[in-house]
Amino acid sequence: MTSGPIPEIEAELAKLPPAVLEAYNEANGAVKESFGEEEIGLWAKEGLTIGTQTVRSWESAIEYYRVSPEVSKFLSFPSFMQWARCGTYLAQDSPTLAVSFFKASVSIVPNLRPQYIPRWAGLGRSLYKGTWKSSTLAAKFFEVSPDLVRNLPFWDVEVFASLIEALSYKSYDVAGECLVLGRDVLPAMGREREPFLAMSRALIDTSWREVKTCLELVPRALQLVDESQTGRFLKLGERLAKVGLRNTSRFLSDGTQALSKVPQGSQGYILDLCDALVVITPDAVPPFLKSLDSVLNRITVSQLDTWFQHGAHLLQENPESGIAFFKIESNKSESMLETLSSSLELDRVKGILRLYCRALAGTGLEILDTQELVRRNIGWVDEDTASTDGTKIFLPPVVDHYPSKQDNFSWFKVVSTHQVAHLEFGSFEYEFEKPAALFEDRRHETEQKMLELKEAERVAAKEEYEMAARLLTSGAEGDVDMSPGYEDPNAMGSLRTFTDIGRFLEIFENGRLVFDIFTVLEDCRLDYRIKVEYPGIQKASSRVQGETLEKRPRIEDMPLQQGMVELLIHMSLDKFQDLPVAIEYKEAGEMLSRILHQLRTAEADVEDTAEATLRAYEIISRVPNEKEEDDQFEEQDLEEPGDFSEEDYQSLVDQLQAGMDASSDGGDGESYESPDPVDYRGDFKPEMVQLLTKLQADSGGDGEAQAMTQEMLEQLLQESPELELDAEQGEVDSNMSMFAQNIMKEAGAPPPNSQPGEGYGPLLHDDDGGGELEAREPETFVYDEWDFRANDYKPRWCIVKEKMVEEGDATFYHEALKTYKALSNHIRRQFELIMPESMRKTYRLMDGEDIDLNAALEAWCDLKMGVPPDEKIYWHRKRNRREVAVVFLLDMSASTAEAIDEGRQTVDDRDAPDDPVEYMVWLRRRREGLVRRNYKRIIDLEKEGTTLLIDALESIGDTYGIYGFSGYGRENVEFYVIKDIDEDFSDKVKRRIDKITPLHATRMGAAIRHATTKLEKQDAKTKIMFLISDGRPQDRGYSREGVEKEYAVHDTHMALVEARRKDIIPFCLTVDKSGHDYLKSMCGDMGYEVLADIWSLPERLPMLYRQLTSVR
Amino acid sequence: MVETAAPTFKEYAIEEFLVRDEPYYRPIGDEIELFTAAYRQHIPVLLKGPTGCGKTRFVEYMAWQLGRPLATVKEKGGKEEQLKAGEIRVPLITIACHEDLTASDLVGRYLLDANGTRWIDGPMTRAVKNGAILYLDEVVEARKDTTVLIHPLTDHRRILPIEKTGSIIEADDRFLLCVSYNPGYQSALKDLKHSTRQRFISIEFYYPPADIETEIVQRESGCSKEHADSLAKLGEKIRNLEEHGLQEGASTRLLIYAARLMSEGIEPRRACQVAIVWTLTDDHELQRSLEEVTSSIFE
Repeated sequence: MTSGPIPEIEAELAKLPPAVLEAYNEANGAVKESFGEEEIGLWAKEGLTIGTQTVRSWESAIEYYRVSPEVSKFLSFPSFMQWARCGTYLAQDSPTLAVSFFKASVSIVPNLRPQYIPRWAGLGRSLYKGTWKSSTLAAKFFEVSPDLVRNLPFWDVEVFASLIEALSYKSYDVAGECLVLGRDVLPAMGREREPFLAMSRALIDTSWREVKTCLELVPRALQLVDESQTGRFLKLGERLAKVGLRNTSRFLSDGTQALSKVPQGSQGYILDLCDALVVITPDAVPPFLKSLDSVLNRITVSQLDTWFQHGAHLLQENPESGIAFFKIESNKSESMLETLSSSLELDRVKGILRLYCRALAGTGLEILDTQELVRRNIGWVDEDTASTDGTKIFLPPVVDHYPSKQDNFSWFKVVSTHQVAHLEFGSFEYEFEKPAALFEDRRHETEQKMLELKEAERVAAKEEYEMAARLLTSGAEGDVDMSPGYEDPNAMGSLRTFTDIGRFLEIFENGRLVFDIFTVLEDCRLDYRIKVEYPGIQKASSRVQGETLEKRPRIEDMPLQQGMVELLIHMSLDKFQDLPVAIEYKEAGEMLSRILHQLRTAEADVEDTAEATLRAYEIISRVPNEKEEDDQFEEQDLEEPGDFSEEDYQSLVDQLQAGMDASSDGGDGESYESPDPVDYRGDFKPEMVQLLTKLQADSGGDGEAQAMTQEMLEQLLQESPELELDAEQGEVDSNMSMFAQNIMKEAGAPPPNSQPGEGYGPLLHDDDGGGELEAREPETFVYDEWDFRANDYKPRWCIVKEKMVEEGDATFYHEALKTYKALSNHIRRQFELIMPESMRKTYRLMDGEDIDLNAALEAWCDLKMGVPPDEKIYWHRKRNRREVAVVFLLDMSASTAEAIDEGRQTVDDRDAPDDPVEYMVWLRRRREGLVRRNYKRIIDLEKEGTTLLIDALESIGDTYGIYGFSGYGRENVEFYVIKDIDEDFSDKVKRRIDKITPLHATRMGAAIRHATTKLEKQDAKTKIMFLISDGRPQDRGYSREGVEKEYAVHDTHMALVEARRKDIIPFCLTVDKSGHDYLKSMCGDMGYEVLADIWSLPERLPMLYRQLTSVR
Repeated sequence: MVETAAPTFKEYAIEEFLVRDEPYYRPIGDEIELFTAAYRQHIPVLLKGPTGCGKTRFVEYMAWQLGRPLATVKEKGGKEEQLKAGEIRVPLITIACHEDLTASDLVGRYLLDANGTRWIDGPMTRAVKNGAILYLDEVVEARKDTTVLIHPLTDHRRILPIEKTGSIIEADDRFLLCVSYNPGYQSALKDLKHSTRQRFISIEFYYPPADIETEIVQRESGCSKEHADSLAKLGEKIRNLEEHGLQEGASTRLLIYAARLMSEGIEPRRACQVAIVWTLTDDHELQRSLEEVTSSIFE
């Protein structure tokens, strides 16, 4: 048998130091198990080749023989020979290197695919540069490679090796140290490894010493950054390194430090900003990150943008000053932060103000920002002034009038108090017929006059027309009444009488003037009421009033009529001393003051304001609107003008009238212009509010009130002075019709001439065509949906269709129980532990349901023996039965079909077992539990979890329902019943579980609402809703303007809040790793958990449930 | 030597506790007439209303009112005074109900004695025997078996069967059962059964209107008219927030507490903060809102 080349080789080996032959002989036996005869020859021969490469290569040969038996177990013969040949080449260069190579091989081959072996050897070889130091380095590389290869993908090892090689050109020592560091650090990294290596590579050219520091820092530093952002952060580092940033390690530590301190979820945004900076001046990035923490302590993330943009702008113009800006070493930067930090965003105090206003007004007011009001496009156009539409208060989005937040908040408070006052003190409750409390009623008289005047005008117009017609027809027939063409423009009567305010304002000739006076007087009345009712706010509101007063124009500079209105404004702002009044109209000024004072009492109501307006109007309208010289004015003190009397007033008006008649020299001076609005009082639109309220009331009723058409509304709007538009006439018209449309919509009236589904006008969002839905089929239900932008529900928006899941095979259920036998037993035990507590009798109590006989006898004996007895002789049964009802909602969206990780990277794992190396890898993974079955999907785990849960729930007898949800679009929210909450557990349920399959999208809100309805009907002490999902809620049209993901999140949040209001405890469990981003806002303070390891779902689900229910 | 003040408490047997001094009660509607009529006609009374709006005070007042003229109070161990002719007395027995209140807590139980066991009457039995007004406060909190206990007492029979001693007690002529409950806490689980409910006449209470509340606050605390005014206004505003975040509005009792602090010289805003705002809610935003309301009303 010992033929062939073997003896020959053995003879040759004997020529080498004896240890070689020893090693050979030792290995020979073991190798025979793996190789055939011929192969053994080749194996032995290769050893000889190695041994004879150089003088000292016999050492390598010894190692070769020594490891061969072990290596041969993992490699097929061709691969083995390839491996051996690698060693041979290495031995040629340096025997030491080959020794290390062989030594490392034992632990490498099980983890490395055979085809990579030459490349791996090559990596080590490339480190060897013929010097002693380089050979040590290369040897060290082989030494650490088992660890690297086991934990890193091979290409990362390659990249790392090339990094080390590049480093070795600079310093062998550093390279060696990095090699060891890399072994310890790199395996722990996840996705960020690749960008980290890329960054380190970039560092070599600029500052190679940094590599080591970075390696040291990186494990700790990256913990500070969101997992999802580490890649981006390192990429940023790489870009910085490429442009020559010197101390990347500082960047690494400072940057991560800075990022760790920004609010959750905004790291990505900060990195966006950094990316923007890199483009302009990379040098600005480190100072930016460095100042970030202190900046964010002063301003919010949303304010950051303003500050940043300014800095970025500076940077473009002058890098030096830009960097100083980001270092906060410039005045500009400092002062900007100052302003930003003191400015107050409405969003931050909205909640407080909302409750504040609700408390004051006693109605469910909403606070919205003015932009929203303007967006509604119903007549309000100013974005900066506060207003109210009767049910909502609109406030400007930001206040930065004062250098402190406290003061800015006070401003908000003053402004909202004033707006609430409109509601609290009834500005919008004006009734024309209701008599005023303090004034005599004169409006009927005025109205009568106005009607007569109009009638006269009408008759005149008609006559004029008829005259013209007669002239045209020139007596051909003589019968003028037949003239068909005449249309009375006022045939419909004035439309403004639709509202009481409109009716009142309509009885005056100068609509503008009367509206201005009404506004001033009403505001004056309210400010006085606020002052009396809320003395606490007095200080703040006086301050605002004072400041407003300073900004008012000089009365002397204005034409007389406007000056008079301005005079009223001054007085309404609590300024009564030293008021300039034209000498000629001294009495008029006094009278105005008396009228105004009349309103400064607690009894005055809005009807008084109207009467006061009438009087003020009668006076002011009789004053010519001309300018007077300064010396024609005299400073007056109007603090205590005396009491108002109707007689004095009447005589004054007569006197003014006489004056006017006398000087009827034509031109009434300049045409009247409205005064500047008083900022803090906001936009006062009583007519609009009354209009909206009335339209809403009408559309709510059965429409027996005369319906208002859009044309009528448009006309009405045009007549009202409340809508001022600076636009061209044509535009005004189109604006008006848009306003009218939107108002109709706001009021809920069906807009004319619009086809259902087409939407009403330009304001509409793309997705809400169609409007409300109706549940027509059986087992369908309609629910509202929350629109967070509108801060209101979209009524009857979603249709939930309840369906039974088909029945499949019960084997899934049993299989799952079998697979998780140990776990399910454990869970059952845990669950059963909760049970007995609820029924247990407690003995030895001072007090209880009945006497415990044993204890009583003992006590009796004690008594007989003259010993003090134990008084605890009662028992008591705890009756707090476990009353739990729970609903499980399973996400059945398409995304649950996704196979769970592993699958992607180890595609070739499927055929792995054929190849021994692959097989080992696969086997080990399997042992670690990473690969259980190749095609397991998220939904499978949900199903398994459900199975275990059912099993456990049945053991403790809680009421439970299991449902799945999916759907597409709001009219098709599918709600699948797996086990209805009232249904008993049966084989049917087992079979249904099998048929749980991934379907469409996830419109969570509607599903939650439906589940809430189900739970609500349950009569249990504790009600729980358990939501299991794999990602954010999304569906077709489950957004606003089609883009905002927040819409869905907000709606879901609202649905959860609704559930909680009904005493249901919601809990969300998600397997979406990025879940932290949105779950916080979706669940608020409600419970949720992001499952880090999806495989733990079946185990975690029942445990979570147990925790949730046993605490109570 | 340190002198310690002698303790000033007094101890009464439960059925002998009488409301001696006229309690302050400000009627808002016809509740006094209604109660008196019910008392004469032996109709049990159910008082509904939020916490701190005066239900208990009302019952005290009625006990005093119905017991008038009233001469005696026997302090435990003291000597009994003689009732003058024509005088009656109506003791008031108040029981705060809670989840663990058992039937034997109310009716009575056997206690151990040197010679065996001894039966001890529970407060309800004592009330029935002595002709007292039995006031079950927050009756919904009591367990359901307890509420059933009152059934035979509340219809025409007016009897209290005591299972354990095998006896039945017919109620004294002056006995009246009065229960209170707070519909604000109402949930499907904690509601009176209809069979129970329909044995009572119901008198509804709510916080008094602002002007009366001012009067009450001022009278009870001795604070200034302005403060009482503002507090009543504050109460009204805060009650607006019920259902908007607050579970229950500020009770008159709380307003009185605040007023009392004020009359001790505590700064008004601070007094409201500790007596009202912090008591009502733990939610920071809500607290802040309430404080803003307070700071608008109080200088």
